[in-house]
Amino acid sequence: MRPRRLRKEVPHLEITAFINLIVVLVPFLLSTAVFTRLAVMDLQLPAQQSAVEQIKVDNLQLEVVIRKDALEVGDRIGGLIQRIERSGTEHDVKALQQLMVMVKGKFPDKREATLLAEPDTSYDQLVQVMDAVRGTVTAQGPKLVRAELFPNISVGDAPLLKDVKDVKDVKGGNDGKAGKTLKAAAATPAKGNS
Amino acid sequence: MAVPTPLEKRAQRKARNNTAMDMNLVALIDVFTILIFFLLSSASGVETLVSPKAVHLPLANSNQPPKDTVVLVVAGDEILAAGRRVALVSEAMAGSDDLIPGLKAELDLLAARPVVRAENRNKIESDGHAVTIMADKDIPYQLLRKVMATCAKAGFSDVSFAVRQRLDA
Repeated sequence: MRPRRLRKEVPHLEITAFINLIVVLVPFLLSTAVFTRLAVMDLQLPAQQSAVEQIKVDNLQLEVVIRKDALEVGDRIGGLIQRIERSGTEHDVKALQQLMVMVKGKFPDKREATLLAEPDTSYDQLVQVMDAVRGTVTAQGPKLVRAELFPNISVGDAPLLKDVKDVKDVKGGNDGKAGKTLKAAAATPAKGNS
Repeated sequence: MAVPTPLEKRAQRKARNNTAMDMNLVALIDVFTILIFFLLSSASGVETLVSPKAVHLPLANSNQPPKDTVVLVVAGDEILAAGRRVALVSEAMAGSDDLIPGLKAELDLLAARPVVRAENRNKIESDGHAVTIMADKDIPYQLLRKVMATCAKAGFSDVSFAVRQRLDA
Protein backbone atom coordinates (compact mmCIF):
# COMPACT_ATOMS: atom_id res chain seq x y z
CA MET A 1 0.00 0.00 0.00
CA ARG A 2 1.18 3.43 -0.89
CA PRO A 3 2.10 5.48 2.15
CA ARG A 4 -0.73 7.83 2.88
CA ARG A 5 0.48 11.33 2.38
CA LEU A 6 -1.31 14.30 3.74
CA ARG A 7 -1.97 16.69 0.93
CA LYS A 8 -1.04 20.18 2.18
CA GLU A 9 -3.60 22.78 1.32
CA VAL A 10 -2.34 26.20 0.34
CA PRO A 11 -3.34 28.51 3.19
CA HIS A 12 -5.80 31.21 2.24
CA LEU A 13 -6.77 34.30 4.16
CA GLU A 14 -10.45 34.61 4.55
CA ILE A 15 -10.83 38.31 3.81
CA THR A 16 -14.23 38.42 2.18
CA ALA A 17 -15.91 39.95 5.18
CA PHE A 18 -13.16 42.55 5.48
CA ILE A 19 -13.49 43.54 1.84
CA ASN A 20 -17.25 43.79 2.20
CA LEU A 21 -16.81 46.15 5.10
CA ILE A 22 -14.33 48.32 3.23
CA VAL A 23 -16.40 48.43 0.08
CA VAL A 24 -19.33 49.72 2.08
CA LEU A 25 -17.29 52.14 4.21
CA VAL A 26 -15.32 53.80 1.42
CA PRO A 27 -18.27 55.13 -0.60
CA PHE A 28 -20.01 56.17 2.60
CA LEU A 29 -17.04 58.15 3.86
CA LEU A 30 -16.35 59.60 0.43
CA SER A 31 -19.90 60.86 0.19
CA THR A 32 -19.78 62.52 3.60
CA ALA A 33 -16.26 63.90 3.26
CA VAL A 34 -16.02 67.66 3.17
CA PHE A 35 -13.32 69.06 1.01
CA THR A 36 -14.12 72.69 1.76
CA ARG A 37 -13.87 73.59 5.38
CA LEU A 38 -16.37 76.20 6.45
CA ALA A 39 -15.74 78.90 8.97
CA VAL A 40 -17.61 81.91 10.25
CA MET A 41 -16.81 85.56 10.83
CA ASP A 42 -18.45 87.34 13.67
CA LEU A 43 -20.02 90.66 13.14
CA GLN A 44 -21.17 93.33 15.53
CA LEU A 45 -24.54 94.75 14.80
CA PRO A 46 -25.12 98.16 16.26
CA ALA A 47 -27.42 97.93 19.24
CA GLN A 48 -30.99 99.06 18.71
CA GLN A 49 -30.68 101.99 21.04
CA SER A 50 -27.06 103.00 21.22
CA ALA A 51 -26.02 105.33 23.96
CA VAL A 52 -24.59 108.68 23.10
CA GLU A 53 -20.92 108.22 22.51
CA GLN A 54 -18.42 110.39 24.22
CA ILE A 55 -15.89 111.69 21.78
CA LYS A 56 -12.51 111.29 23.34
CA VAL A 57 -9.26 112.73 22.24
CA ASP A 58 -6.79 110.20 20.92
CA ASN A 59 -9.50 107.63 20.50
CA LEU A 60 -9.30 106.09 17.10
CA GLN A 61 -12.54 105.15 15.43
CA LEU A 62 -11.27 103.33 12.43
CA GLU A 63 -13.43 103.38 9.34
CA VAL A 64 -12.83 101.68 6.04
CA VAL A 65 -15.05 102.91 3.25
CA ILE A 66 -15.40 100.60 0.28
CA ARG A 67 -15.88 102.73 -2.81
CA LYS A 68 -16.20 101.56 -6.36
CA ASP A 69 -12.72 102.81 -7.27
CA ALA A 70 -10.84 102.84 -3.99
CA LEU A 71 -10.69 101.90 -0.35
CA GLU A 72 -10.70 104.87 1.98
CA VAL A 73 -9.21 104.30 5.39
CA GLY A 74 -9.97 106.98 7.90
CA ASP A 75 -10.71 107.95 11.44
CA ARG A 76 -14.21 109.17 12.16
CA ILE A 77 -12.87 112.21 13.94
CA GLY A 78 -9.43 112.67 12.42
CA GLY A 79 -10.45 112.26 8.81
CA LEU A 80 -8.93 110.32 5.98
CA ILE A 81 -5.75 108.41 6.73
CA GLN A 82 -5.10 106.90 3.33
CA ARG A 83 -6.88 106.22 0.10
CA ILE A 84 -5.96 102.98 -1.59
CA GLU A 85 -6.77 103.14 -5.27
CA ARG A 86 -8.22 100.10 -6.87
CA SER A 87 -5.85 98.26 -9.15
CA GLY A 88 -7.33 95.94 -11.72
CA THR A 89 -10.53 94.11 -11.00
CA GLU A 90 -10.17 93.81 -7.24
CA HIS A 91 -9.47 96.13 -4.39
CA ASP A 92 -5.92 96.19 -3.15
CA VAL A 93 -6.51 94.14 -0.03
CA LYS A 94 -2.81 93.54 0.51
CA ALA A 95 -2.07 97.26 0.77
CA LEU A 96 -5.02 97.64 3.10
CA GLN A 97 -3.64 94.94 5.32
CA GLN A 98 -0.22 96.59 5.47
CA LEU A 99 -1.86 99.85 6.43
CA MET A 100 -3.92 98.07 9.08
CA VAL A 101 -0.77 96.55 10.55
CA MET A 102 0.70 100.05 10.73
CA VAL A 103 -2.39 101.47 12.40
CA LYS A 104 -2.48 98.56 14.83
CA GLY A 105 1.11 99.37 15.75
CA LYS A 106 0.04 102.85 16.75
CA PHE A 107 -3.08 101.77 18.60
CA PRO A 108 -2.32 98.32 19.97
CA ASP A 109 -5.34 98.19 22.28
CA LYS A 110 -7.89 99.03 19.64
CA ARG A 111 -10.03 96.14 18.46
CA GLU A 112 -12.93 97.86 16.76
CA ALA A 113 -13.30 98.90 13.17
CA THR A 114 -16.20 99.92 11.00
CA LEU A 115 -16.70 98.94 7.40
CA LEU A 116 -18.80 101.25 5.31
CA ALA A 117 -20.06 99.85 2.04
CA GLU A 118 -21.92 101.29 -0.89
CA PRO A 119 -25.24 99.68 -1.88
CA ASP A 120 -23.78 97.91 -4.90
CA THR A 121 -20.64 96.65 -3.18
CA SER A 122 -20.63 92.90 -3.59
CA TYR A 123 -20.66 90.63 -0.59
CA ASP A 124 -17.40 89.12 -1.75
CA GLN A 125 -15.62 92.48 -1.67
CA LEU A 126 -17.05 93.17 1.75
CA VAL A 127 -15.79 89.87 3.09
CA GLN A 128 -12.36 90.31 1.52
CA VAL A 129 -11.96 93.72 3.14
CA MET A 130 -13.32 92.40 6.41
CA ASP A 131 -10.84 89.57 6.28
CA ALA A 132 -7.96 91.99 5.78
CA VAL A 133 -9.08 94.18 8.66
CA ARG A 134 -9.68 91.31 11.07
CA GLY A 135 -6.19 89.91 11.12
CA THR A 136 -3.20 88.69 9.21
CA VAL A 137 -2.14 85.19 8.39
CA THR A 138 1.46 84.66 7.52
CA ALA A 139 3.15 81.41 6.70
CA GLN A 140 6.21 80.69 8.77
CA GLY A 141 7.61 77.51 7.46
CA PRO A 142 4.95 74.87 7.57
CA LYS A 143 2.60 76.57 9.99
CA LEU A 144 0.38 79.57 9.67
CA VAL A 145 0.78 82.35 12.16
CA ARG A 146 -2.32 84.39 12.83
CA ALA A 147 -2.13 87.90 14.18
CA GLU A 148 -5.14 89.81 15.30
CA LEU A 149 -5.74 93.33 14.01
CA PHE A 150 -9.26 94.68 14.46
CA PRO A 151 -11.56 91.70 14.93
CA ASN A 152 -14.62 93.55 16.20
CA ILE A 153 -16.07 94.78 12.98
CA SER A 154 -19.33 96.53 12.42
CA VAL A 155 -20.80 97.26 9.05
CA GLY A 156 -22.58 100.38 7.89
CA ASP A 157 -23.51 102.47 4.89
CA ALA A 158 -20.91 104.56 3.16
CA PRO A 159 -21.54 108.28 3.21
CA LEU A 160 -22.56 109.68 -0.14
CA LEU A 161 -19.87 111.19 -2.28
CA LYS A 162 -19.95 114.85 -3.07
CA ASP A 163 -17.43 114.97 -5.89
CA VAL A 164 -18.84 116.06 -9.22
CA LYS A 165 -17.43 113.05 -11.02
CA ASP A 166 -18.99 110.62 -8.59
CA VAL A 167 -22.32 112.38 -8.53
CA LYS A 168 -22.48 111.81 -12.27
CA ASP A 169 -21.81 108.14 -11.63
CA VAL A 170 -24.57 107.89 -9.10
CA LYS A 171 -27.02 109.56 -11.46
CA GLY A 172 -26.16 107.15 -14.21
CA GLY A 173 -26.64 104.12 -12.02
CA ASN A 174 -29.86 105.23 -10.46
CA ASP A 175 -32.34 104.44 -13.18
CA GLY A 176 -34.67 102.77 -10.72
CA LYS A 177 -35.12 105.85 -8.66
CA ALA A 178 -35.81 108.02 -11.70
CA GLY A 179 -38.50 105.55 -12.74
CA LYS A 180 -40.09 105.77 -9.35
CA THR A 181 -40.24 109.54 -9.47
CA LEU A 182 -41.84 109.36 -12.88
CA LYS A 183 -44.43 106.91 -11.65
CA ALA A 184 -45.25 109.13 -8.71
CA ALA A 185 -45.66 112.08 -11.06
CA ALA A 186 -48.03 110.07 -13.23
CA ALA A 187 -50.07 109.04 -10.24
CA THR A 188 -50.65 112.56 -9.01
CA PRO A 189 -52.76 113.88 -11.90
CA ALA A 190 -54.88 110.72 -11.85
CA LYS A 191 -55.68 111.45 -8.26
CA GLY A 192 -56.61 115.01 -9.20
CA ASN A 193 -59.08 113.80 -11.85
CA SER A 194 -60.98 111.50 -9.54
CA MET B 1 -1.58 -1.65 -6.20
CA ALA B 2 -4.89 -1.54 -4.54
CA VAL B 3 -7.91 -0.32 -6.33
CA PRO B 4 -9.02 2.87 -4.66
CA THR B 5 -12.27 2.74 -2.88
CA PRO B 6 -14.98 5.13 -4.11
CA LEU B 7 -14.32 7.36 -1.16
CA GLU B 8 -10.65 7.70 -2.00
CA LYS B 9 -11.52 8.33 -5.63
CA ARG B 10 -13.72 11.16 -4.59
CA ALA B 11 -10.97 12.68 -2.47
CA GLN B 12 -8.51 12.51 -5.33
CA ARG B 13 -10.97 14.08 -7.75
CA LYS B 14 -11.61 16.84 -5.35
CA ALA B 15 -7.93 17.57 -4.91
CA ARG B 16 -7.39 17.58 -8.65
CA ASN B 17 -10.22 19.94 -9.39
CA ASN B 18 -9.39 22.34 -6.62
CA THR B 19 -8.79 25.25 -8.91
CA ALA B 20 -10.55 27.94 -6.89
CA MET B 21 -9.82 31.30 -8.40
CA ASP B 22 -7.04 32.93 -6.47
CA MET B 23 -7.57 36.64 -6.91
CA ASN B 24 -4.75 38.91 -5.97
CA LEU B 25 -6.50 41.46 -3.83
CA VAL B 26 -3.55 42.69 -1.83
CA ALA B 27 -3.11 45.96 -3.73
CA LEU B 28 -6.84 46.68 -3.63
CA ILE B 29 -6.95 46.17 0.10
CA ASP B 30 -3.90 48.37 0.57
CA VAL B 31 -5.54 51.20 -1.32
CA PHE B 32 -8.83 50.83 0.50
CA THR B 33 -7.19 50.71 3.88
CA ILE B 34 -5.23 53.88 3.24
CA LEU B 35 -8.35 55.58 1.90
CA ILE B 36 -10.31 54.61 4.97
CA PHE B 37 -7.76 56.03 7.35
CA PHE B 38 -7.51 59.23 5.32
CA LEU B 39 -11.26 59.69 5.19
CA LEU B 40 -11.75 58.85 8.83
CA SER B 41 -9.17 61.40 9.88
CA SER B 42 -10.53 64.11 7.59
CA ALA B 43 -14.09 63.55 8.79
CA SER B 44 -13.56 65.51 11.94
CA GLY B 45 -16.48 65.61 14.24
CA VAL B 46 -19.89 66.82 13.30
CA GLU B 47 -20.30 69.36 10.57
CA THR B 48 -22.67 71.98 11.85
CA LEU B 49 -22.96 73.80 8.57
CA VAL B 50 -23.79 72.07 5.36
CA SER B 51 -22.92 74.15 2.38
CA PRO B 52 -25.53 74.02 -0.33
CA LYS B 53 -24.16 73.55 -3.81
CA ALA B 54 -25.98 76.59 -5.16
CA VAL B 55 -24.33 79.04 -2.78
CA HIS B 56 -20.86 80.23 -3.65
CA LEU B 57 -19.46 81.41 -0.36
CA PRO B 58 -16.61 83.92 -0.33
CA LEU B 59 -13.14 82.84 0.71
CA ALA B 60 -11.61 84.14 3.90
CA ASN B 61 -8.83 83.42 6.35
CA SER B 62 -11.07 83.08 9.36
CA ASN B 63 -10.69 79.87 11.34
CA GLN B 64 -13.57 80.24 13.74
CA PRO B 65 -15.60 77.05 13.71
CA PRO B 66 -19.26 77.49 12.83
CA LYS B 67 -21.72 77.52 15.68
CA ASP B 68 -25.00 75.72 15.85
CA THR B 69 -27.33 78.57 15.06
CA VAL B 70 -30.21 79.48 12.84
CA VAL B 71 -28.88 79.52 9.28
CA LEU B 72 -30.04 82.06 6.74
CA VAL B 73 -29.24 81.21 3.17
CA VAL B 74 -29.35 83.89 0.52
CA ALA B 75 -28.85 82.25 -2.84
CA GLY B 76 -30.13 82.80 -6.33
CA ASP B 77 -33.57 84.24 -5.91
CA GLU B 78 -34.49 82.80 -2.55
CA ILE B 79 -33.96 83.60 1.10
CA LEU B 80 -34.13 80.52 3.29
CA ALA B 81 -34.40 80.64 7.04
CA ALA B 82 -33.67 77.35 8.80
CA GLY B 83 -34.34 75.51 5.58
CA ARG B 84 -37.66 77.12 4.71
CA ARG B 85 -38.14 79.59 1.91
CA VAL B 86 -39.38 82.77 3.52
CA ALA B 87 -38.86 85.46 0.91
CA LEU B 88 -37.76 86.10 -2.63
CA VAL B 89 -34.68 88.16 -3.33
CA SER B 90 -36.44 90.11 -6.07
CA GLU B 91 -39.23 91.08 -3.67
CA ALA B 92 -36.77 92.03 -0.97
CA MET B 93 -34.78 94.18 -3.36
CA ALA B 94 -37.93 95.85 -4.68
CA GLY B 95 -39.12 96.85 -1.23
CA SER B 96 -38.08 100.35 -0.32
CA ASP B 97 -38.15 99.48 3.36
CA ASP B 98 -35.20 97.82 5.10
CA LEU B 99 -37.47 95.14 6.53
CA ILE B 100 -38.17 91.87 4.71
CA PRO B 101 -41.62 90.89 6.03
CA GLY B 102 -41.48 87.14 5.35
CA LEU B 103 -38.06 86.81 6.91
CA LYS B 104 -39.09 88.87 9.92
CA ALA B 105 -42.12 86.66 10.55
CA GLU B 106 -40.06 83.48 10.34
CA LEU B 107 -37.32 84.85 12.58
CA ASP B 108 -39.89 85.92 15.14
CA LEU B 109 -41.20 82.36 15.14
CA LEU B 110 -37.70 80.97 15.57
CA ALA B 111 -36.95 83.43 18.35
CA ALA B 112 -40.07 82.36 20.20
CA ARG B 113 -38.87 78.77 20.46
CA PRO B 114 -38.33 77.84 24.08
CA VAL B 115 -34.71 77.74 25.22
CA VAL B 116 -33.93 74.72 27.31
CA ARG B 117 -30.47 75.32 28.67
CA ALA B 118 -30.00 78.10 31.15
CA GLU B 119 -26.59 79.14 29.84
CA ASN B 120 -28.05 79.58 26.37
CA ARG B 121 -30.82 81.70 27.83
CA ASN B 122 -28.33 83.96 29.56
CA LYS B 123 -26.38 84.32 26.35
CA ILE B 124 -29.48 85.28 24.41
CA GLU B 125 -30.37 87.87 27.01
CA SER B 126 -26.95 89.47 26.79
CA ASP B 127 -26.15 89.20 23.06
CA GLY B 128 -29.43 88.44 21.35
CA HIS B 129 -30.13 85.36 19.28
CA ALA B 130 -27.40 84.05 17.04
CA VAL B 131 -27.75 83.67 13.31
CA THR B 132 -25.38 82.57 10.58
CA ILE B 133 -25.77 84.13 7.17
CA MET B 134 -24.68 82.08 4.21
CA ALA B 135 -24.85 84.41 1.30
CA ASP B 136 -23.70 84.09 -2.25
CA LYS B 137 -20.59 86.12 -2.87
CA ASP B 138 -22.22 88.08 -5.67
CA ILE B 139 -25.12 89.56 -3.75
CA PRO B 140 -24.97 93.34 -3.34
CA TYR B 141 -24.47 94.99 0.02
CA GLN B 142 -27.93 96.52 -0.34
CA LEU B 143 -29.54 93.11 0.02
CA LEU B 144 -27.21 92.04 2.79
CA ARG B 145 -28.06 95.20 4.65
CA LYS B 146 -31.77 94.46 4.42
CA VAL B 147 -31.24 90.93 5.68
CA MET B 148 -29.10 92.17 8.57
CA ALA B 149 -31.54 94.92 9.45
CA THR B 150 -34.35 92.38 9.55
CA CYS B 151 -32.26 90.13 11.79
CA ALA B 152 -31.56 93.00 14.14
CA LYS B 153 -35.24 93.92 14.27
CA ALA B 154 -36.17 90.35 15.12
CA GLY B 155 -33.66 90.28 17.97
CA PHE B 156 -30.99 88.25 16.16
CA SER B 157 -28.10 90.57 16.80
CA ASP B 158 -25.32 87.99 17.02
CA VAL B 159 -24.64 87.71 13.30
CA SER B 160 -21.89 85.70 11.69
CA PHE B 161 -21.06 85.28 8.03
CA ALA B 162 -20.27 81.83 6.75
CA VAL B 163 -17.18 81.70 4.58
CA ARG B 164 -15.06 79.08 2.94
CA GLN B 165 -11.79 78.73 4.76
CA ARG B 166 -8.76 79.63 2.70
CA LEU B 167 -6.23 76.88 3.13
CA ASP B 168 -3.31 78.10 1.04
CA ALA B 169 -2.95 81.52 2.69
